[in-house]
Amino acid sequence: MKIKLKKRLKGYKGDFILDVDISIRKGSFITIFGRSGAGKTTLLKMLAGLLKPDEGFIEVSGKVWYDSTMGIDLPPQKRRVGVVFQDYALFPNMTVEENILYGMEKKDEDLLEMLLSLTELKELRKRKPQSLSGGQKQRVALARAVARKPDILLLDEPLSALDIDMRKKLQEELQMIHRTFSLTTFLISHDFSEVFRLSDKVFVMENGKIIKEGRPDQIFVQERISGKVRFSGEILQINREDVVYIVSVLVGNNIIKVVADPDEVQDLSVGDKVVVASKAFNPFILKSE
Amino acid sequence: MNRLRGKIVNIESSESISLVEVKTDIGNICAVVVETPETAEYLKVNNDIYVLFKETEVSIGKELSGMISLRNRFECVVEEIQKGKVLTRLVLKCGDNLIKSVITTRSAERMEIKKGDSVTALVKTNEVSLMEIPDGS
Repeated sequence: MKIKLKKRLKGYKGDFILDVDISIRKGSFITIFGRSGAGKTTLLKMLAGLLKPDEGFIEVSGKVWYDSTMGIDLPPQKRRVGVVFQDYALFPNMTVEENILYGMEKKDEDLLEMLLSLTELKELRKRKPQSLSGGQKQRVALARAVARKPDILLLDEPLSALDIDMRKKLQEELQMIHRTFSLTTFLISHDFSEVFRLSDKVFVMENGKIIKEGRPDQIFVQERISGKVRFSGEILQINREDVVYIVSVLVGNNIIKVVADPDEVQDLSVGDKVVVASKAFNPFILKSE
Repeated sequence: MNRLRGKIVNIESSESISLVEVKTDIGNICAVVVETPETAEYLKVNNDIYVLFKETEVSIGKELSGMISLRNRFECVVEEIQKGKVLTRLVLKCGDNLIKSVITTRSAERMEIKKGDSVTALVKTNEVSLMEIPDGS
């Protein structure tokens, strides 16, 4: 899959050019990471055909979706793409299954059942969106996006409005759907642990350009240590305790406490992204119930 | 975390574990790592590397005699001692380098450690980590 796009954008600090030239392996789970206003959503909208680039080229699975020199510009419904945005955008007058069926090109009962079960919506199938929770609505949106049998799935911060438990649950379902349907998935996310958990490649965007690409650990971890046990997280708290400090780090849903020397703590502050590493020799493994 | 810069002088590997010997200013330091030159690019003789070990993994000996399995031992002078209720932090001078150690206050008192004492700092090989030196530093 090849994407080469240019578009002039208006930013709050003046105009800038979105200029992206990337190739993506089919089946990848891609995260686009970057500040707001970097051009991430614009890029997804251009892929979906919802926004016209100034110039460029999009080819997915051997099919050209857009080519400015040839005058090719497939409309959104001709592109095999599923889209989920932060706001659920479900049809309020339709039930869960009607919403999902609406996404299909032709009615496919087997696929409907599969999607309902993957997203745990079987029991809610006759309900209307207004009676669903945020997590449930987002599942419907996801099932509807996949119901089109897309080649690529575009997710613009789909989980950012959800609480952490629901987010984790949906991350698992996302991953399952990504694999089950052999999708190439693009996710915009600011959630560090989400990026690590889900994606196999990260593109970091800044002012419309890709400034870094690689595996999450290559992008976010500067130092390569021989530690076999390593987690990425965010510092929640730094407390002095006796002659040392206890640094609490949020890793996924867990808080890990690490003893640190006063000299180490000098460069650390709450909110910092860090790696917690230990040697393979230290941890115990206890079977959980 | 104690961090020293050194050069790899020897690597012995089994299937997936290596014993790596690194020459540093304070003497040779050995590390056992679950990596081999095949799995980790930085494991090459003559490569510059950082040796890391946590303060809490540095044991202290005073007037040591007899045999001990620890391979990493450094003769030091106590430069600074900070006693807490449970833990005591020692800053040790070893040549021109400073090593930090955290032991229990009980041990520090039992051994009557005070500033200016000559002590041996001991670190188990499996507590020593190696870290690639990022380019340009």
